[in-house]
Formats: sequence, structure tokens, C-alpha cells
Amino acid sequence: MYKVWLLFDPRRALVALSVFLFVLALIIHFILLSTDRYNWLEGKPIKTGQIEQTTGLG
Amino acid sequence: MTMATPDRAPPYGERSSLSGLTDAEAKEFHSLFITSFIAFTVVAIIAHFLVWMWRPWIPGPKGYALIDGATTAVHHALSLIG
Repeated sequence: MYKVWLLFDPRRALVALSVFLFVLALIIHFILLSTDRYNWLEGKPIKTGQIEQTTGLG
Repeated sequence: MTMATPDRAPPYGERSSLSGLTDAEAKEFHSLFITSFIAFTVVAIIAHFLVWMWRPWIPGPKGYALIDGATTAVHHALSLIG
């Protein structure tokens, strides 16, 4: 496996990998912030889906 | 960590690989790379574990109700009946 570094320049590979991981992390964090369930800044209470809250039966 | 220095200049010496690294340098970099990769992965696994504990991201057949708050769900159901 180490022979990949004979093909790919480690410096460029490291820069490319760091940029890729950073952008990916940024995207994932923003996606999570845009949701209700995983927004850790707003801290909304959990929505327990599929529970029907029917009131005033009959 | 010191990279080995070539004793001869290309194209006669060992520096004939595409990246310009020697075999020893590639091995040295690879061990460092693998160590860092494992460390990164361990941190990521810990982070995922913590988030799963907070709010799991795979809902059950009835949505998140069953895994999130089984007690709250029961409470709701009871209040509807009574």
C-alpha cells in the first residue's frame, strides 16, 4: 500500500485530502443545522414523529 | 522524523518514481499517514457515538417515536384513553 506515495505526491495528496474533508465537514454541519432535529444551537425539543395528537374525540 | 536524502540525482539515482519519493520515504510517510488516519477515524467514531446517544438518526418503523421517547409515547396514549 505504501507504494501509492510513489505515484501521488504526498504534499498535494495531503492538501487535497484536508480541503476535501474540511469542505465535507462544513457541508454536513450546515445540513444538520438546517434540520429541526439536529440543530444543536436552537435546542428545540424532540419531535416524536407519528404520534397522533387527536383532541376532542366525538 | 527526517526524510532520507538521495545520494544521487535523478535520473540515475533512486528518485525515478512519479512523485519523486524513494521507497524508504514512501514507507515512512505511509506509516505516519496511517497513524493520522486511525486517529482521525477514532475521533469520528467517538463523535458519532455521542450524537447517536443524543438523537439517533435511523427512525424505527413508526418514526422516531419508539426510540426517542417510549415513555412519552405511552404517556400520550394513556392520556388519550383516559
